[in-house]
Amino acid sequence: MSTSVIDALQNDCAGSAGADIRDLLPLRGAHILITGGTGFVGTWVAQMVAYLNDCHQFGIKLTLLSPHASEFSSRAPHLACRADVRLFDGDVRNLADLPQESEWVIHAAGSPDSRIHFSNPVRTMETIVSGTQAVLNAASRLTPLQRILSLSSGLVYGPQRWEDAPLSEKVFSGFDCANPAGLYAESKRAAEMVAAAYRSQFGLPVLSARLFAFIGPFQLLDRPWAINNFLRDALRGGPIRVQGNGETVRSYMYGSDLAYWLLRLLVSGKIGAAYNVGSPVGISLKDLAVKIAECFPRRPSIDLNTLPAAGIPRTQWLPDITMARTDCDLRVQTNLDQAITRTVAWHTRQ
Amino acid sequence: MRKVLISDPTLRDGNHAVQHKLNLAQVAAYARAADNAGIPIVEVGHGNGLAASSLQVGLSAVSDRDMLTTARENLLQSKLSIHVMPGFATIKRDLSLAIDIGVDVVRVACHCSEADITQRHIAYVRERGKQVFGVLMMTHMLTKEQLAEESLKMESYGAEAIMLMDSAGALLPTDVAERVRTLVQALHIPVGFHAHNNLGMAVANSITALESGAAILDGTARGFGAGAGNTQLEVLVAVLNKMGYETGIDLYKMLDAADLAERELMPSIPTIKSISIVSGLAGVFSGFAKHVDRVSLQFHVDPRDVFFELGRRRVVAGQEDLIIEVASAMASRQAKPLEVVR
Repeated sequence: MSTSVIDALQNDCAGSAGADIRDLLPLRGAHILITGGTGFVGTWVAQMVAYLNDCHQFGIKLTLLSPHASEFSSRAPHLACRADVRLFDGDVRNLADLPQESEWVIHAAGSPDSRIHFSNPVRTMETIVSGTQAVLNAASRLTPLQRILSLSSGLVYGPQRWEDAPLSEKVFSGFDCANPAGLYAESKRAAEMVAAAYRSQFGLPVLSARLFAFIGPFQLLDRPWAINNFLRDALRGGPIRVQGNGETVRSYMYGSDLAYWLLRLLVSGKIGAAYNVGSPVGISLKDLAVKIAECFPRRPSIDLNTLPAAGIPRTQWLPDITMARTDCDLRVQTNLDQAITRTVAWHTRQ
Repeated sequence: MRKVLISDPTLRDGNHAVQHKLNLAQVAAYARAADNAGIPIVEVGHGNGLAASSLQVGLSAVSDRDMLTTARENLLQSKLSIHVMPGFATIKRDLSLAIDIGVDVVRVACHCSEADITQRHIAYVRERGKQVFGVLMMTHMLTKEQLAEESLKMESYGAEAIMLMDSAGALLPTDVAERVRTLVQALHIPVGFHAHNNLGMAVANSITALESGAAILDGTARGFGAGAGNTQLEVLVAVLNKMGYETGIDLYKMLDAADLAERELMPSIPTIKSISIVSGLAGVFSGFAKHVDRVSLQFHVDPRDVFFELGRRRVVAGQEDLIIEVASAMASRQAKPLEVVR
């Protein structure tokens, strides 16, 4: 990875963290552990830690636990080779202990990839529910433990209808619990309840973050989400193919904003609370495709309505982030235009 | 006016009816006629799809490469489609080549309970920027809920539509309606239907699928396809016109294409023979008919009994070897027992 690419990532982190990083001072000299640490979330948190250490001398030690730890050096070589980052091969389903020096834990294990959920629902559930229990068990034996931030999903609320307001943390509609289509969301709900049980019975200092949709460097373009597919289509020269009429609405938060929010929630979120993490600014998939296309000098064409669709309702998925703003003064720092431009630039330079 | 997307596998499913012996002149002639008629998607290949030419299911008269190249040269407006079963076609050797030749639509197919095996093929087609449908075959063998689960897997892998195939021609309109409705409700992508005519239901089932929310229908000229054949495309187009659906197909030119297909491709027009009725009732893939006839003759057993036994064993395409086992066992049972010498 070239110096200019690494510098751009550091600048992204600086922009998301802002000039005043006093709110993160409790992490100075600390040891942070991230389970599932080599995915999109873990990589961006590692990037933010690298920024804090390099530019603000935080001296954080970071351990990334993952069943794919060995692949991290090809995914993010500039982070894998750092002295302040330690990789640890392991699967949360079989976890006995965590590194004893861990003080702050971000539990991010459990892939959001729906292909895995549908193909291997049992393993998905085991990783999320049993994995969470294993992590909390192990964390409860950590002497220096400060806090645990357990990552959940904005899907726990159930489907959001077109006419619904942005999803706040207290509005649930739910799934048909006999239908595997709801398995990931139900598993995340169950994992939140596991966390609540450990907090209630053992006083474990745990809180949750419910993640929505994201964009940024380190995102794998073969993943089954619209924005990944649009980027892949555009990078290949187009056309960008949009299924249906493109009226579906999503919102996207940039990776460095996500990393900053998670570290802030880890430090300052209320124990026992669950916070939405995502951008509240919705965009239709049609407009998203246009924005992506505009980033390329030879603008790829956009194919809408590639197939006739009968009776497919338009949907939206948008978080209400009032709680994160009120409790922790968190705001989206990187707007979607910037996020798309930076992401395209990163993929182009890769 | 509601649109319906028509896909025409005459040059693929029809290959079953002639033991995969369609030649390049026939492919070129029908492709030109279909293109001229404005048929949106034309599917080409061995009856069992890309790279399926084999001793087990039948050798093609021409290679995939030649067949697809010929079709590509003659399809100016229509999209060129292929049927791909992961058990036959590999990504590197076969699928990559087909896309290089100019295939626009890849329909990745599997037995209705095996959607897991389609993930890599579907992902590869998406990576190459082509349209990809998931195809569930033999859909009479699963409940509507099970079909929805398998379809959801394909949707999650990146399929842009799901085709339900009534490969055995075993479904009745009520079966079709409940399956299609369930999928339309469960999925965020269009649903399509591919019928076989064993019980004379192909056109009715196709219309039922449409009225239940399907957006894509398959049909072949004169119904040219495995067993009793498929939905007769020119009839389907005429009925859809009468019902006020928009297909984008010129009816007269469609009728011309069907006449050409009858003249140039078919030794005989598919009819619902007795064996096809039994195949439909037994729920066995229509493509088995010629094999069952041949093997039954060899073992002097009633092919209808063979079909019902195959149905009891729930055989699927690719298990053609079992025909011999079943016929042989029946022949043994029918053989006169040896007289006991006292």
